Amino acid sequence: MPNSILKVENLKKSFQIAGGLFQQKQYVNAVIDVSFEIEEGTTFSLVGESGCGKSTTGRLITRLIAPTNGSIVVDGQEVATAKSSELKHLRQTVQMIFQDPYASLNPRMKVKELVGEPLEIHTKLSKAEREKLVLEMLEVVGLNAEHADRYAHEFSGGQRQRLGIARALITKPKLIIADEPVSALDVSIQSQILNLLKQLQQDYKISYLFISHDLSVVEHISHYIGVMYLGSIVEIGRKETIFNNPKHPYTQALIASVPIADPTLRKKKIVLTGDIPNPKNPPSGCTFHTRCPLASDICKQAIPEMKKINEEQSVACHFVH
Amino acid sequence: MTSPTTVQNSQVQQTQRKYSPLKEFWKSFKKQKAALLASIFIGLLIVVAFIGPYIAPYDPFEPNYEALLEGPSASHLAGTDEYGRDIFSRLIVGAKISLMVSFSAVFLGLILGTILGLVSGYFGGWIDKIIMRSCDVLFSFPDLLLAIAIVALLGPGINNVIIAVMIFSVPSFARLVRGATLNAKENVYVEAAQSMGASHVRVLWKHIFPETMSELIIFVTMRIGTAILAASGLSFLGLGASPEMPEWGVMLSSGRDYLGTSSHVVIMPGIAIFLTVLAFNLIGDGLRDVLDPKIKNN
Amino acid sequence: MSEHVLRVTDLETSFTRDKKEIKILRGVNFAIRKGEILGLVGESGSGKSLTSLSIMQLFHGTTGKIVNGSIHFNGEDLTKMSESAIRKIRGKQMAMIFQEPMTSLNPVLKIGKQLMEAIEMHLKLPKNESRHHAIQMLKNVGIGRAEEIIYEYPHQLSGGMRQRVMIAMAMACHPNLLIADEPTTALDVTIQAQILELMKKLKEENDTAILLITHDLGVVAEMCDRVVVMYAGQVVEEANVFELFASPKHPYTQGLIASVPKIGDHKEILDSINGQVPSPQNMPNGCKFAPRCNQAMSVCHEESPPTVNISTTRQCSCWLYATKDVKVNA
Repeated sequence: MPNSILKVENLKKSFQIAGGLFQQKQYVNAVIDVSFEIEEGTTFSLVGESGCGKSTTGRLITRLIAPTNGSIVVDGQEVATAKSSELKHLRQTVQMIFQDPYASLNPRMKVKELVGEPLEIHTKLSKAEREKLVLEMLEVVGLNAEHADRYAHEFSGGQRQRLGIARALITKPKLIIADEPVSALDVSIQSQILNLLKQLQQDYKISYLFISHDLSVVEHISHYIGVMYLGSIVEIGRKETIFNNPKHPYTQALIASVPIADPTLRKKKIVLTGDIPNPKNPPSGCTFHTRCPLASDICKQAIPEMKKINEEQSVACHFVH
Repeated sequence: MTSPTTVQNSQVQQTQRKYSPLKEFWKSFKKQKAALLASIFIGLLIVVAFIGPYIAPYDPFEPNYEALLEGPSASHLAGTDEYGRDIFSRLIVGAKISLMVSFSAVFLGLILGTILGLVSGYFGGWIDKIIMRSCDVLFSFPDLLLAIAIVALLGPGINNVIIAVMIFSVPSFARLVRGATLNAKENVYVEAAQSMGASHVRVLWKHIFPETMSELIIFVTMRIGTAILAASGLSFLGLGASPEMPEWGVMLSSGRDYLGTSSHVVIMPGIAIFLTVLAFNLIGDGLRDVLDPKIKNN
Repeated sequence: MSEHVLRVTDLETSFTRDKKEIKILRGVNFAIRKGEILGLVGESGSGKSLTSLSIMQLFHGTTGKIVNGSIHFNGEDLTKMSESAIRKIRGKQMAMIFQEPMTSLNPVLKIGKQLMEAIEMHLKLPKNESRHHAIQMLKNVGIGRAEEIIYEYPHQLSGGMRQRVMIAMAMACHPNLLIADEPTTALDVTIQAQILELMKKLKEENDTAILLITHDLGVVAEMCDRVVVMYAGQVVEEANVFELFASPKHPYTQGLIASVPKIGDHKEILDSINGQVPSPQNMPNGCKFAPRCNQAMSVCHEESPPTVNISTTRQCSCWLYATKDVKVNA
């Protein structure tokens, strides 16, 4: 892919959950063989339900946690195996926005310190110069210069999320990882933030890795999407292609399960039976086989490979070619 | 550069009066009547400690063989001791010694203990184990015994008392700070700072340490009381200040022989120690009611 | 009138904080018919959850109280009843399920015990019969291995299972009214679909009326027959679900529906509503939505709008529709 800002290949992360010196070690595979690429100035969304590994993937890319295996290339630099000391450039190029606008901002810091912190860490600008940039950034995200001296808890949820965005933007990163950035907001505020993110993408040519469980939001904001289930990507491709013609049975069920805000479109649902399996005890073979309407013997035995079925769509299913 | 729609689409929240953490603290602390009184007492004590030598009615060291062991009277508010020295003047000058010893010991212990606690809680792993096990070893000694052992090693004297009290304070601070660090580490904004590229030192100083401060402040005030008792105890045993110094513990010790006949020689310094330690404890309690997040959130 | 299972009239509820009484609900009006699913829609600060707590009179340990209005349930006014009388109704004729099944199920009691407690108290069945009934209820909500589940604890079950157990407990006594407060908000999308299907099925089987409280317009469109939209402690619009989505009348409803991203919509920019919900201590004069409304007139900032009957099935509290002909007192 030309101009790819992020390339992830065969990414894997296992957490040790039990065992020590004398006990059998137990692991949970949070992320299993994940690969995708993000082009400059586009939005790629990872969508899935609990336990699918999308949040862990986001943290792996910023190296908040270290991958067990695989490659992560950010703006040409391999970061999966880099030492902590070599990660300074990464932390300037990639920034994060978090889900909880109340918890992600230090309650003891004033806004100008909060938003200016990345500048303090990465640049040698003076306090006055930093403040100037902070004030500019506040305006960009739709707040005011007079807010700079306040504390974060004096703001509403939507405004706090704007602060988080200002903070993420201030070092002019190329990629922003947004982990459920609007899930905790009211609907009418949610749309303000989504509009803002889209605008910023146009103005600054930023790429987004957008992590969410909300398909409607994902459909609105993405260019490409990857659907995850229990640590693996089951379908990946252009948004329009996947929403118009989902091929993987899980994607089909997922899209069909989303209630649409239009009563005339009440449709017959594909209601999956059973619960989402616990990642500590995943089913064998294709992990979806316990709930899949198409499941057969091969699904219990072999993990399906990701197959490219057209220019804009790849699927991991034994029954899709 | 930016589209007008984005900027206009957000409305500024009408915030009321500006928030100031100091004002909020003072508002709550004012309500703690006992702590407020105690603070005034300690404030006065500190002032006395500084200007003591100038306002003492008599020279605390000068003996007066004509007025031995006199009870409290108009001319000697707290009476005189076995050398005729005015006890009240000695108490005033002794305040400086007691406060200086306890403050230094506690603050030195605080600094060392905080650093150990932060490192232990934040990094975990083997460094955590080493630090905590060492603290456990120190904890297994009764406080005073440990202090005695240290002074026995280093020799008597006020400076060594400070060192001894400091050493036995460190494990308590370290454990407290470690606990608070473990909690603070879980905050999302710590993760945010790390993902921003903040160095460990920065994360600890700006994001984790402030979280530990409220518990620390409470603990420090309580600890000063303990330190005063410990220092006095050591001096009482003859391990601390030398006998002619007007240190409160020494005064207790040398007054022991006259407990039956002229008990004021012992009672007066005893009251001084008692009131001071009580005051610090009351302040600590008041601070806890105001600062402790567990109580606050109820 | 007699066909209304629940009729809420001019309900006003307040809380006391720092010795000041703060009114949260400012005159809520709506009614639910037998077998109907009524959606109560609003964002944070709308007062929708407080409405359900007021109906159930669940104010213990808080400073909340009803200061005005009436709540007629099967013809009787709950606000005038004693606590013991209400307790007989709660759990039997009127039941509630909550958003977080983990916190509403007792973590130290086995599932069976909790279920049977409700059954024994209200249906007065002997122990073995109530166990049988409990197993039957669990099977009814789609829990296959009900005989094993009754010996398990809540933390051993998944979120979806716990919510099913909650529904089983609520439906065990065949209530006339089920109040569901954000029942699927904490669940994954595919599990949400299961639970919503289940609720529809149980409604058909038992003819239970459901008061469905949610902020999710998609759920409302899927499930509800009629919808009540709340803002800042008041009802701003009431209509049947098709009318509401096809032509919302109140500017807040219009803004809300326009700001929800819908799959297949292909909108570049979502509509949004400027500003945010006013806090109960800082309520503006006149219409509470006026500061954020792009159709506000000068009267909107001065006087509260009346409730206007737009048709036999629709009502709206907005000055835009209050002409001389149509104006009606609520």
